[in-house]
Amino acid sequence: MSGSLQNLTGLDRVIHEPARLLLVALLSSVESADFLFLLKESRLTRGNLSVQLSRLEEAGYLEMEKTFRGKIPHTEYRLTQKGKSAFNQYRKSLGLILK
Amino acid sequence: MNVQIDSALKRARGYWFVDGFTEMAAGGLFILLAAILLFSGNAPQSSFPHWFLSVAGEIVIAKLIGILAAILVLCWLKDHFTYPRTGFVRGKRITGTRVLVILRNVILFLFLPILALLAVSLLVASATSVLAYMPVWFPVALGLIWAIFFIAAGEWLGLHRFRLLAITMLLAGIAVGIGQFAIGLQAFPANLQPGVLQSSVVESVGRTLASLSFLILISGVILMISGVFTFLRYRKENPAPYAEES
Repeated sequence: MSGSLQNLTGLDRVIHEPARLLLVALLSSVESADFLFLLKESRLTRGNLSVQLSRLEEAGYLEMEKTFRGKIPHTEYRLTQKGKSAFNQYRKSLGLILK
Repeated sequence: MNVQIDSALKRARGYWFVDGFTEMAAGGLFILLAAILLFSGNAPQSSFPHWFLSVAGEIVIAKLIGILAAILVLCWLKDHFTYPRTGFVRGKRITGTRVLVILRNVILFLFLPILALLAVSLLVASATSVLAYMPVWFPVALGLIWAIFFIAAGEWLGLHRFRLLAITMLLAGIAVGIGQFAIGLQAFPANLQPGVLQSSVVESVGRTLASLSFLILISGVILMISGVFTFLRYRKENPAPYAEES
C-alpha cells in the first residue's frame, strides 16, 4: 500500500463525514455559533444537525453552552482544542493525499 | 448537501457583514466626518495651527463617539433583526499574536508605501511643491489604498460585493483628483517653478482637506448604497421567523 493510501485510511472518520466536516469547518473560523446559524449554513434538517452535533460532542470535538439572550434560551457551540487539532490534522492529511 | 467548505469558511468569517448594517453604519460615519471637514474648511482661518488643531480634535471626537454609537446601534440591530433570522455567531477572540500580525500588515502594506511615496516625492520636489500637488494626488492614492483594502477584505471574507466597492472607491478617488486638476490645481512637480504663482502651505492643506472630504463623502454614500441593497436582499432572502412559520 502506498504512503498516500495509508494516509487515506488514517483519516479521522468523525470529521471525514461531509456534514460533520462542514460543521467543523464553519466552527473553526469563528469563536462560537448557535444552532440556527449552523442550520442555515449547513442546510441540514434540524434532526440531522442535532445528530451530527451530538456525534461531534461525543468525540470531544465540540462543546455546548446553554445561556440566555434576554429571556430567550440560547445554545452556542464551539470547537474544543481537541476538535481544532483534529481538524488541522485532517486538513494536513488530506493535503498529503491530494499532493 | 452541495456546500463548498471553502465558501462556508468565508461566509462564517464574513457573517458580520451579511445584513448590510455595518456598511450603512460605516457610510453614515464617513458622511459625518466629511461634513465636519467640509464645514471646518469654510471656517475663518485666521490662525492656521489653531484651526488645524480644532479640526483634528473635532474629527477625533466625532470618530470616537461615532464608532461607539455605531457599535451600540449595530449590536442592537443584530440582536433584534439578524440573529433571530440567520443565527448568532461570536467572532474569533483577538489575541496578542493576531494584533501583531495586523500591526505588521498595516506597517508593511500601508505606512511603508505611503512613507516611500512621500520620500520619493520629496526627492523630486520641494516640500511646498509636494503640498501643492497633494490635493490632486492624495485622493487618488487614498482611493487606491481603500480599493486594495476592500479587495483583500473581500477575498478573506468571501464578499464579492467588496470587489465592486473597491472599484467604485478607486474611481471616486480618481474622479476627485481629476476634479481638483480641472479647477486648475497643479498635478505634477515639473509644472511648479520658483517665482511662478504657487499656492501657500495653508491653501494647499485646505485644498487637500477639501479633496479628502469629497472622497470621504462619496465613499460614505457608496457604502450607504451598498449597505441598503445588501439589507434589502438579506431581508428578502431571510423573512422574519414568524412569517416563515405562517
